[in-house]
Formats: sequence, C-alpha cells, structure tokens
Amino acid sequence: MAALEVRGLRKQFGGVVALNGIDLDIDTDRVVGIVGPNGSGKTTLFNVVTGVHPATGGTVSWQGQDITNIGAHRIARKRLVRTFQQAMSFPGLTVDENVRIAWEQGRRGGSRWASPGMILDFVGLAPLGKAIAGSLPFGSLRRLGLAVALGVSPELLLLDEPGAGLNDSEAQAFAAVIAQLPPQGIGVCLIDHDMDMMSELCDRLIVLDFGTKIAEGPPAEVLADPKVREVYLGPDKKAALS
Amino acid sequence: MPMTDNSAAKTGAATEGARARDRLALLTADNASVPLPAGVQAVTAILLAALLIALPWLGLGYRFLSIAITTLYTAIGLYGLGLQFGQAGIMSVGHAALMGVGAYASAILSVQLGLGFWTSLPFAMALSAIVGGVIGLPTLRVGGQHYIIITFCFCALFVIVLTNGGTFTGSATGLDVGSVTPLPGINFDKLSNNYYLVLAALFLALAATYLIGISRYGRTLRAIRENEQLARSVGINVDLHKLGVLMVSGLFAGLAGVLQLYYLRHISPTLFGAFPSLYLALMVMLGGARYLYGPLIGAVIVNFLPEVLNLDPVDSRIAYGVCLLLVILLLPGGVAAGIKNIYCALAGGFDRQGGGLNGRA
Ligand SMILES: Nc1ncnc2c1ncn2[C@@H]1O[C@H](COP(=O)(O)OP(=O)(O)O)[C@@H](O)[C@H]1O
Ligand SMILES: [Mg+2]
Repeated sequence: MAALEVRGLRKQFGGVVALNGIDLDIDTDRVVGIVGPNGSGKTTLFNVVTGVHPATGGTVSWQGQDITNIGAHRIARKRLVRTFQQAMSFPGLTVDENVRIAWEQGRRGGSRWASPGMILDFVGLAPLGKAIAGSLPFGSLRRLGLAVALGVSPELLLLDEPGAGLNDSEAQAFAAVIAQLPPQGIGVCLIDHDMDMMSELCDRLIVLDFGTKIAEGPPAEVLADPKVREVYLGPDKKAALS
Repeated sequence: MPMTDNSAAKTGAATEGARARDRLALLTADNASVPLPAGVQAVTAILLAALLIALPWLGLGYRFLSIAITTLYTAIGLYGLGLQFGQAGIMSVGHAALMGVGAYASAILSVQLGLGFWTSLPFAMALSAIVGGVIGLPTLRVGGQHYIIITFCFCALFVIVLTNGGTFTGSATGLDVGSVTPLPGINFDKLSNNYYLVLAALFLALAATYLIGISRYGRTLRAIRENEQLARSVGINVDLHKLGVLMVSGLFAGLAGVLQLYYLRHISPTLFGAFPSLYLALMVMLGGARYLYGPLIGAVIVNFLPEVLNLDPVDSRIAYGVCLLLVILLLPGGVAAGIKNIYCALAGGFDRQGGGLNGRA
C-alpha cells in the first residue's frame, strides 16, 4: 500500500473540469514527477490533495487514513506538506521567524530538525536569517518557501514548480537539494516543466492532460510515449520528431 | 550542497544616492519584527515604569491625574485591539462597545446583585471575551473588511439595546456604581489610589502583550496576519486562532471597561458608541499597533493633545484627522515605529541585511 493513495479524484470549478478522475499512488522513498501542459490540473491536484480546495468527488488517503476534505491545517499536521506555485512567505517577518513558525508547528510529535537554524543551513539561507522575507531576491524567496515547508517536518513534500523563475545555476542548485530529500526519509512529488531535470531527478513520471492521467512510468518510457509527445508537440509535429 | 546567495554583495555596492534613499526608507519603515537588544528593552521598561509610578507625586494636579487615568484604562483596551489588529491583522471599529459590554455587565451585577468591583470583574471580562468571539464568528466565512462592518453594526446595535433597556440598563441616563471595594489599607476613593489600580492593570496588559509577542502564540498570530494560506499549509488552525485572539482582545476590553466604570462611577450608552470606537481605532493606528508601547503612545497622544494644545472638541477632532493622515502617509507603522527607527538610526549600525539589533520595541 502506498503512503498517498488518490482514487477517482474529481474537481470542478463551475463548468471547468480541472480533475477528471485521477488515480495515484505515491511513496515516500523517492521523487515522483508530475508533468503536463499549462492548465492540465497539476496545481489543482496539489490543492485538492492538501485541502486548499474541497474535492468534487473521489478520495485521498494518507498512511491508510481518509483525509479527503479534512482541512488544510490538519493535512499539514499529518506531515503531508506542499509549496505553492507562486513563491510564498510571511513577507513582513524575518527569514528566521518564517522558518521558526513552521518548525514550531511541525514539532508536535517530534521534528526531524533540532532547531530552525538547521533548516536554514540545509537550504543555504543561514546568512539571511535576519532579513525581512518580503525584501528577499526571488531565488532566496524560493528557497525560503522550501525551508518553510521542510520546517513542518514532512514525510511527503509536494513541490509546485519550485524552479520556476530561477536561472539555470539556481535551478541546478535547487535540484541538488531536492535530490537529498528521499534518502533522509522525505518523499518528494515534484511539478516542473524542465524535462531534462525531471528525467534526472524523478524515478517515475506522471503525465496529466485535461485533468486526466495519460501516462505513468519511468521517465524515458513516458517521454517516448506517443500520447505524451502528442500532448506536448501537437499531432501535426509527431512525424517530425520520430 | 548548500546554495549561496550574492544579494548582500550587491547591496554593498549601492551608490551614495541610493544609500540616502535607503536611510529615509529605514526611518519611515515598519520594523516591528526586527527586535531591539535586550538591554535597551529592559532600560526602556524600567524608565517607563518609574515614570508612571512616580506620576502622582510630580504635583501635576487633579486634572492631569484624571486624564492620566483615562489614558491608562483606554490603553488597556487598546492592548487588546493591538493584539487582534497588530499581531493577527483583524481591525475592529466597534471596540468601545466591547469595553461597554464589560462595563455594563459589571454595573448590572452591582445594581441587581450587589456584586462589587472585584467579584464582578471576572464575569465582566469573561462576557466581553465571549461577545468578542461571537462577533468574530462571521469573519471565519467572510473577509476582514466585512468584519470591520460587522463590528461597526454591533456597536450601533449595542447602543440601541442599552438605550431601550429600561431600568435594567438605565436607558439613556445609564447606571451608577459605588467605589471600588477597599483593600486592607487602600481606599480607592482617593484619586491616586485609583490611578495605581489602573496602572497595575496596565502593567498586566503590557506584560501579557510582551509575553504573547515573543511566544510561539504571537508568532502564530503574525503568520496568520502575513499569509493566511501559508499559515494553514504549515498546520496552523487559522479559524481557531482568529476566534481565540478576538476573545483575548475581549478580555482586555472587559478589564478596561470595568476600570472605566469604577473610575467614572457612572456610565451611559454614548460612552461606548461609534465615536469612542473610532477613536480607539485611531489611537491604535496612531501609536503603532505592532509595537509594545504603540497603544500606550496612541492613548497618550489622543488624550493629552487637546489639553496640551488647548483645543476645543471640534478642533481636536480636526487635529486627530490630520495626525492620522500624516502618520498613515509618513509612518505606516505608527509613532512607535518612528521612535524606534530614530533610536536605531542614532544608535547606528541598523543593517537591513541582518546585524546587531534584536528585540521588540
Ligand atoms: N481557483 C480556481 N477557480 C477556477 N478555476 C480554476 C481554479 N484553479 C484552477 N482552475 C482551472 O483549472 C484548470 C487547471 O488549472 P491548474 O491546476 O492551475 O493547471 P496547471 O497547474 O496544470 O497549470 C484550469 O483550466 C484553470 O483555469
Ligand atoms: Mg500550476
């Protein structure tokens, strides 16, 4: 049994069907990638799984417990934690305070970090501890988003395009940090558009299109799948690629 | 492999002009979350406490001491408002009504059941806290702007109920109470003793505010103020904490209301209507809701300004309006923010990238 089991998950916004019956099994010992064109429902999947939006149908279970629609803060307390596509922080507070807030929440039942400072060291933000989060350059803000999520002591971390808006070297450094997580017992489920990075980081790729899972498997296999190539390149270009 | 950041180096290369602009920005910035050194905090607290304790002996006269008492119980109410607005980001423009709940509860307990100051105080505070929470219930569904309107409506409704409450609430004339039940050797009919009673309560309010500010609870409230969605996603029960802080704010309001009642010995509905409520909102913004001494500074300015400048009530309202506009435009963090920034500039070494200064002002 996988740690996170999603069954028949549906989400409708008015007439828009953002998720149309998604089944997923995600474990906490590896990096799983989720890809798909813009608007295919990747962010909505995270939002529904973590209780930001209520599900229209289907179930989410985590470590054997049904967590469908139990509320975002309860899900976070069960150590299923996510970051946001728009880099988020507590902008008026210091970097130290940002991380301490998350760390204090994650301390219930024991934290994997002895202190918030360890998290800052881990993501490389230690020198900026006294800076106000709202004044950070974008790259540091992304790292702060990761630090805050890690502060909750997650067992599975859902990362929504953590590399978006970063330059190549920043994105590479970020990927290196992400690769360190599963060996420490933090599973990662990662949304990103950079296929090279995804192939390198992920043990498994899941492809969404129009709220449906159209492919799943090892990156090389999935990227060679004609259905996936069609989604990314359009039916007319299929011939040119092969 | 830790990642590195070179933004500090970039800041170091700033030009002179940019530096001057930075300096101005630092003077007007809201640095509530950048703490001052513990020594500075302790000295400030001791000097302030000494001044407040010595006040009745400075020979400033009966009228001055009366205004001081008004200032202090108002400040106690403001510390509640400072907590809900400054820390949790929930503004109310009906706060005087919440003080009124405490004051009227205590007065009614005195008139109907003969309960004195000390016995009615816990009931009055509890009732204010409960009412504060109940008014807050709708905020969980709607946004902060709606809550402001709800508090205003509550305030109007409260006055209507009091005015039409017959002999139970004393209608428009209001209710009278006796003086505070004496403690062994302390008679509260004496003005200076009444002052010390209110001052003791203010010290409690200050201590509670300070302790909340540096605690995990305070950080949780600030997290909600800064980013509700992120707060939820790290496991904070946002709804519960919002109700909680409104109830704590209600406790402060109830305490302030009972002190007001037993200082004035007579209360009537107009004391707790829209105007006094707006004044409380004004004071907390003027002083600086996020700063430890902000509410006290706001109460001092608004209560003593007409006295010092010899203004009549109409002039003073205009003066407050102008003050508030100036503060909002020039000092978004309030007068307390300005004082802290000036201190930091004089002390030197205020370094945005992190450096020496730790503690809340
Ligand atoms: N809060 C919302 N309200 C209405 N529609 C939404 C909302 N969030 C997402 N959608 C819609 O759901 C679909 C999937 O969006 P999203 O999950 O953000 O896609 P992705 O992250 O894959 O780019 C889109 O059509 C989007 O417009
Ligand atoms: Mg998205």
